[in-house]
Amino acid sequence: MKFIKNCPLFLLILSMGILFSIVALGGKNTIYAAQEYEPLKAPVLSIMFTAINDNIYPWQLLNGDSVEAGSPLQESDLSASSKEQEADQEKTQKQDQIPEQEGSEPSKDQELAAASASPEREEEENGEADPSVEGGEEGALASPSPEADINDPSQETEGEDAPFERLEPLRESTYDEYINHISADIYGDAGVIRAAGYEFEQVDESYFDDALFIGDSRTVGLRDYTDLSEHADFYCETSLTIYKALEENFKGKGTVREALESKDYGKIYIMVGINELGRGTTEDFMSKYTEVIDTLRELEPEAKIFIQAIMRVSGKKDSEDAIFNNSNINARNNAIATLADNKQIFYIDVNEAVCDEEGNLNQEYTFDQIHLLGVHNELWKQFLLAHGA
Amino acid sequence: MVSFASLEFLFRFLPVFLIIYFIVPAKYREMALLFFSIIFYAVGEPVFILVLVVLTFLNYLLAMQVWKVGEGFSLHEWQKKRRKRLMIRIVALDVAVLVVFKVLGSFVDNSLLPLGISFYTFKMISFQIDLYRKEMWNKPKFQYAALYFMMFPQVVSGPIMRYNEGEFDLERTCGTEQFEDGLKYFVAGLGMKVLLADRLAILWNDLQMIGFQSISTPLAWLGAAGFSLQLYFDFWGYSLMASGLLVMLGYNFIENFNHPYASKSISEFYRRWHVTLGKWFRDYVYIPLGGSRCSGGRLIFNLAVVWLLTGIWHGNGFNYVIWGVVLGVFIILEKLLYGKYLEKLPVLGHLYVIAIIPITWVIFAVNNLSQLGIYLGRMFPFLGGEGLAVNEQDIIKYAANYGVFFAAGIILCIPGVFGFFEKHKKNPLVILLLAAVFWYSVYFLSSSAENPFMYLNF
Repeated sequence: MKFIKNCPLFLLILSMGILFSIVALGGKNTIYAAQEYEPLKAPVLSIMFTAINDNIYPWQLLNGDSVEAGSPLQESDLSASSKEQEADQEKTQKQDQIPEQEGSEPSKDQELAAASASPEREEEENGEADPSVEGGEEGALASPSPEADINDPSQETEGEDAPFERLEPLRESTYDEYINHISADIYGDAGVIRAAGYEFEQVDESYFDDALFIGDSRTVGLRDYTDLSEHADFYCETSLTIYKALEENFKGKGTVREALESKDYGKIYIMVGINELGRGTTEDFMSKYTEVIDTLRELEPEAKIFIQAIMRVSGKKDSEDAIFNNSNINARNNAIATLADNKQIFYIDVNEAVCDEEGNLNQEYTFDQIHLLGVHNELWKQFLLAHGA
Repeated sequence: MVSFASLEFLFRFLPVFLIIYFIVPAKYREMALLFFSIIFYAVGEPVFILVLVVLTFLNYLLAMQVWKVGEGFSLHEWQKKRRKRLMIRIVALDVAVLVVFKVLGSFVDNSLLPLGISFYTFKMISFQIDLYRKEMWNKPKFQYAALYFMMFPQVVSGPIMRYNEGEFDLERTCGTEQFEDGLKYFVAGLGMKVLLADRLAILWNDLQMIGFQSISTPLAWLGAAGFSLQLYFDFWGYSLMASGLLVMLGYNFIENFNHPYASKSISEFYRRWHVTLGKWFRDYVYIPLGGSRCSGGRLIFNLAVVWLLTGIWHGNGFNYVIWGVVLGVFIILEKLLYGKYLEKLPVLGHLYVIAIIPITWVIFAVNNLSQLGIYLGRMFPFLGGEGLAVNEQDIIKYAANYGVFFAAGIILCIPGVFGFFEKHKKNPLVILLLAAVFWYSVYFLSSSAENPFMYLNF
């Protein structure tokens, strides 16, 4: 009794700890299935907190056992599979989750996302489900074929050259890659090579007067440490991912969707992808990226879209980090490059301007091995000026 | 695990240790603490634990020789000389070990510097000198000396407790009230470290990421202030956690910080900042050199020695030497010239401390001398610190993002605020607040994998 009277803080922390542990254990196989933790290093209740960080709150336990309003990242979180022993179970779980997260066009996205989320699916189904990847089977051979299927009715044929078809992956991510957070290079460099065939032109700064930039903290650097922000609009913030690119409410500005509705942009630049390197497979990332690019085109049909390669990290970071390394970055760049049609969608790679001979972010241009020092964002700006279309 | 602010420590090591500590019979509690201290250190330093163990044995054996020679009421001259010789021998050994590892750590590889060596060798030296000075009442038992050197709450970063303050010989009472008090200090320290210092650390990281040449002058000052608060709450928080743990186990509270930012001079600041280190230098270096009861020239020399050593002790880099020298110069000037005026004009004194200390922390923070020059140039652009690609509006963004941490930090710098919480520690609202601080800290530790930079979002 004396103990209870004398140690209220201790008892409060203890009982809250027990309560949180019960919550965590209760949701371990449902709402917290995707949370990773090491029993030797952290208490089980830590998954409740890591989940809050992904916008999954304890009270969702009461809503039933499936994830209703999970974070957009959920479907891609690899750890789900490490917890679930059976691949099938995991597949169905993922398919359950995805449809509810996608916003506007349920049926199409559902199929697309589900198809790419479960590599085992027949490719045929993938092709049928989504018009944007029609003619996919030919593309699956992934020869860098500029003279792709011109019979496709969905294509807009401006001028004489048809825009490039989207390529299909050469293979699927393996289970090992999946659980080890390795981004599989499932497309090879065909898309990059194909996109590089375009002859970009030097432009001046007024080119950016009708440009919109979407990006993460690296783009924040471009905005804050060059004068591009005097010309273009920037919708960027630290930790932006492709999963949030369209829905994120940028402080004081609203969403990209709203921006595109209120103003006509001639160019849209996007660079995201480093924050989500540890989440999901290349397929997951790619399916969302494709959806975002298609939505951007839909909202702003006349705009040129510049897909910017994810900027690499320095050699030091590359050799030390299991997730934020250049092989993962390159794999994802190879994927998004395949979206370029060299007509309206272009792929440009700023790494040409900021990397050393080994292809790592130049050590002298960065302090934290990831971001350009303020002063070196000028290199990026000059690169953009040299890559007008 | 060697950080108290980690899930591993909070939810794995600490609960197991506490359960064992409190279920074993009282007379075995010291052994339990020693045992867990060895595990704690071995997890952090599986190889260099040998240095700690060997030094512990050597220090005890040689100290016992000194003790033996010193037994009896009146000592012969030869006994006194022999005691002194023996004491100097072991102190020289401790210093030599520290110097060797410091040099290895500075010039070969940082990983060669054993964890906490600056702290435990200082405790060993203190132990030897106190014993030589006959300040210990009873002959120290081996397990007490070992516990004093190795106890896990202090082994990594202090506080540099004195052997006597440990009161190892006395019957230890581990009351529930004391346990609760210790827990409160621990939680307060955890919150300072995780919720304030670790958040402000991201600001400093951002400045480095941008590059010092591209920060505006207001941001340079904000950065200096931010780093000052970060360091303070990191170290004060750590010290509170360490002392809180010991209070939970039935030891005395060791004060390491006494609201330094409320000082009116630099000398006063360092009587209140890292108090145990300041006292160590005072008792084992400054006073033996003659202290302040000597000629002006000798006083300058004594202070210069103390502050040069303080600078070198703090790290491996020339900037720490500069930092120590700059502080030494200010303190000498205060002693000789304007200290008395500062006392009379408290407002001026406070302003002087608040302006000078952040600049000295910049010297402390920036290891690369050319970068240091650039940073100071941005703080004082009229001295020729030209910026490159400076965004003049940057201050708005950072003030908005970090304003809340600055506000909380500055409020906690006011002595009355912490005193208020200490006074009302039994108030249910304070208890609820502390529980919230604890779990909010756990939230940050969970979601950032304990390292604020590791999964920093890009």
